[in-house]
Amino acid sequence: MGLTGLAIFKLLPKTNCKECGVPTCMAFAMALAAGKATLDQCPYVSDEAKEALESATAPPIKLVKAGSGDKVLEMGDEQVIFRHDKTFYHPTGIFIEVADDSNVEAKVEEINGIVFERVGQRYEIDGVAIVNASGNADTFKNAVAAAAAKTGKVLLLVSEDPAAIEAAAAGVAERKPILYAANGDNYEKMVEIAKKINAPLVVKGKDLSDLADLVGKIVGLGYKELILDSGERETSKVLADLTQIRRQAIKKRFRPFGYPTIAFTTEEDPYLEALQAQVYVSKYASVVVMKTTELASLLTLFSWRDNIYTDPQKPIAVQPGVYAIGDVTPDSPVYITTNFSLTFYTVQTEIEATKLPSYLIAFDTEGLSVLTAWAGGKFIGENIGPWLKDSDLNQKVSHKKLIIPGGVAAIKGKIEELSGWEVIVGPREANGIGTFAKLKLGA
Amino acid sequence: MAFYMIGERINGMFKDIGEAVAKFDPKPIQEWAIKQTEAGAAYLDVNVGPTAADRVKSMRWMVEVIQEVCDTPLALDSTNYDAIEAGLEICKKPALINSCPCERPKIERVFPMAKKYGAKIIALTMDKSGIPKSADARVAFAMELVAAADEFGLSPDDLFIDPLILPCNVAQDHAPEVLEALRQIRTLSDPPPHTTLGLSNVSQGTPFRPLINRTYCVMAMTCGLDSAIMDVNDDELVDAIATAEVLLNQSIYCDSYAKVFRQR
Repeated sequence: MGLTGLAIFKLLPKTNCKECGVPTCMAFAMALAAGKATLDQCPYVSDEAKEALESATAPPIKLVKAGSGDKVLEMGDEQVIFRHDKTFYHPTGIFIEVADDSNVEAKVEEINGIVFERVGQRYEIDGVAIVNASGNADTFKNAVAAAAAKTGKVLLLVSEDPAAIEAAAAGVAERKPILYAANGDNYEKMVEIAKKINAPLVVKGKDLSDLADLVGKIVGLGYKELILDSGERETSKVLADLTQIRRQAIKKRFRPFGYPTIAFTTEEDPYLEALQAQVYVSKYASVVVMKTTELASLLTLFSWRDNIYTDPQKPIAVQPGVYAIGDVTPDSPVYITTNFSLTFYTVQTEIEATKLPSYLIAFDTEGLSVLTAWAGGKFIGENIGPWLKDSDLNQKVSHKKLIIPGGVAAIKGKIEELSGWEVIVGPREANGIGTFAKLKLGA
Repeated sequence: MAFYMIGERINGMFKDIGEAVAKFDPKPIQEWAIKQTEAGAAYLDVNVGPTAADRVKSMRWMVEVIQEVCDTPLALDSTNYDAIEAGLEICKKPALINSCPCERPKIERVFPMAKKYGAKIIALTMDKSGIPKSADARVAFAMELVAAADEFGLSPDDLFIDPLILPCNVAQDHAPEVLEALRQIRTLSDPPPHTTLGLSNVSQGTPFRPLINRTYCVMAMTCGLDSAIMDVNDDELVDAIATAEVLLNQSIYCDSYAKVFRQR
């Protein structure tokens, strides 16, 4: 949405000179809001007003990219406060800290090794944050070079000493690292370094208003590849700041906050640290920098991030295929349902409760429920029959009996005709599976 | 966004209320206050009527007797701003001033008064020359009112802009212009001003009043209308509003949504 009539009116000179061809400044503001006039018709408009009006057409949060090759991290470019309003687009980058005075190579090796495979998804750490803990520019430079040689992940260079950043960044310029951080004292020099290699630069304020001032100064120097850090480290305050930054950018088009954000965890206990990171992932952080390499903590965090960043408008589907519930044998019964996750998990839970090891087919209906998929021609004998005939279930079980949902009893004949299997019509509702299994399957 | 129903019934134009005001008999006024509150009114309109001898005194008395029986916020309805101020002084909950046209002297009287008492304002898209026909002219007045609110330190959210609907039997061509005006008024500012209509006007003098009222109300809600001065005891009208809210995804559906709408 562009600027409102009132917002434009406030920026106009209010001379009512009619030189724009419209009787009053207010009428001109309304014409602008309606797209019936252009700003250059007004000879007295200020530069500030021009900037505000131009920015109204830009996206509320800028897209900023870091990294190179197939490890590019896209940050920002979000449009909503709540994911149910549309969706969140760019998943938070998870980074792990490495101190420059530690065994950098070993630590980076360890970070490279953190890879999870879960329900068909692959998770890995997005980036490595090399921290200038030594305070020495050469040590930092060597550590960054060592990390860069060991990993293709996005690099985050953490030092508020411009000399250290400059030395380290030069060696990894083509990797487009994130530079951390420009503050009130060093920003001119930091902007110069960032500009030279066109790398994203974190702006670190003392608080939100200091941050807004600082961003204004840096944008004034002509640099807009920015990431924001309000400087807070306490969970409740970081949460409040991240919320303000997102809200002001989207609802008020406040340009200084129209950039992605970064947050750092502070908790020592890996369990608490993961909880803290989950708050930041949920509440708008584009990058979260952590210390733990504990797998259990990171796995919950990755699962959470994946859930938050799924598109709520797309039905959530499980991987189509044949699922074994319990210790199945060639005699185990075979149920079929759709791959809509809500449907699938409801049926799976009921089958588990029968304590009778069973197979459950999640038939590919593009994530639609049984009746919806049936009505849409995706859960019908013509599709299920041929699939079942060629399915590897024929090798797994010694019988040929398929249990279908009672709601679609009508597809029985066609499945039997096309697959050669016998079809048993199950209960209409999954909560009838327990009784059904007891009476018909001897569970 | 919740729809604000403003109960129209406590108005001296109605015979029972007119007589009650004349005789200082609180009973009919209090009965209507309770009945409209139970029907889900967010505000109760209070108008002393044309026959009241002393408007300031009558307004104060009406506010007092209504507040004896319910705490529903009031919409003080008068062209006499002293009467409104007398009411505002004793209102227990932030009130609604009904109304202020787009005329500078009246804005200068009403807007600071609203600020002082924390009241909201029903602002009319007209001036001395009368009610404009086109949507554009209505929106231009609305824009001036929104700018005036900003000038006097009020939020656009404190305004209920009324683009003035006229009877469809004699001024049929106004109805679609009002719909278009409603659509545009919502885009004037962020937050947008509220909008309202004297809904019963649309059917004035026709034999199909409830049908016309509820049909137009639903159409107007689709264009962004979020309040109306209306007959809150017209169950079919209230049902239609509750249903429109659900279909506009403004309130979450449940099987008893019409009941819930009246209770919130």
